[in-house]
Amino acid sequence: MTDFTDLTAGEAVFETAFPVTRDDLAAYAEASGDRNPIHLDEAAAEAAGLPGVIAHGMYTMGLASRAVLEWVEQAGLEAALTDFSARFAKPVVVPAGSGTTVEIEAKVRKADSEAVQLAITARSGGEKVLAPARATLSRA
Amino acid sequence: MLNTSYVGRSLPTTEPVAITADSVARFAAALGLRDAAKVPPTYLISLTFPAADPLLDDSDFGLDWSKVLHREQRFAFHRRPRVGDEVTCTPTIESIKTVAGNDLLVLRTAVDGTDGPVAEVWTTLFVAAGEDE
Repeated sequence: MTDFTDLTAGEAVFETAFPVTRDDLAAYAEASGDRNPIHLDEAAAEAAGLPGVIAHGMYTMGLASRAVLEWVEQAGLEAALTDFSARFAKPVVVPAGSGTTVEIEAKVRKADSEAVQLAITARSGGEKVLAPARATLSRA
Repeated sequence: MLNTSYVGRSLPTTEPVAITADSVARFAAALGLRDAAKVPPTYLISLTFPAADPLLDDSDFGLDWSKVLHREQRFAFHRRPRVGDEVTCTPTIESIKTVAGNDLLVLRTAVDGTDGPVAEVWTTLFVAAGEDE
């Protein structure tokens, strides 16, 4: 079981990668109610000046939350996510068929006995797509 | 360009919406989250986005959805949302910054339960300049 005080600023805490396909975006569109066609349809995305179908920013942020929650579980932390923010720096382009991958890693930004703040970066297609994302976990 | 006189204005508070087990399970499944019974950290976006719909229908405000990109997002939780909560959303136009004809619109939405505040949700939208500008 990890305690927040075991964590030190600058320490890398996780690195993971998730595959993303257009089927995933369609499922997220249904679940979230965000059915903007730039996330579903090639022609609509190109008409909007995009290189192709892109993931919802909130889908990518959702994957970042998944990475955080999986780390919390593995580390055995008794923690609640109290603050979570992200900047969508570049779109995640999702080609038809095999799709793409989003790589997510996190470092400790600061930690004390009550809370830990993570700095999270996400990359896809060689670009930083979340820059930066921050998650604050507080002792539950 | 957006109508900057809207800064500081709040939209009407929505009717209470129940956070249902079904909607939570579908949202969690779409993100591959292991625990389908817990409200996912980003779930509230599915309530706060529609709460801002009146802005899209308001021609005086000038928001053209086809020119919008989601730029930033933040959730600050007063407490963890739970399945069964009944929550309302009150969006406020917090700021509009105009740079080279493009607008950065910050919406802050208060999410309140029957027992008090649940979360504050900030959404920053990049609104590209119109062709006539």
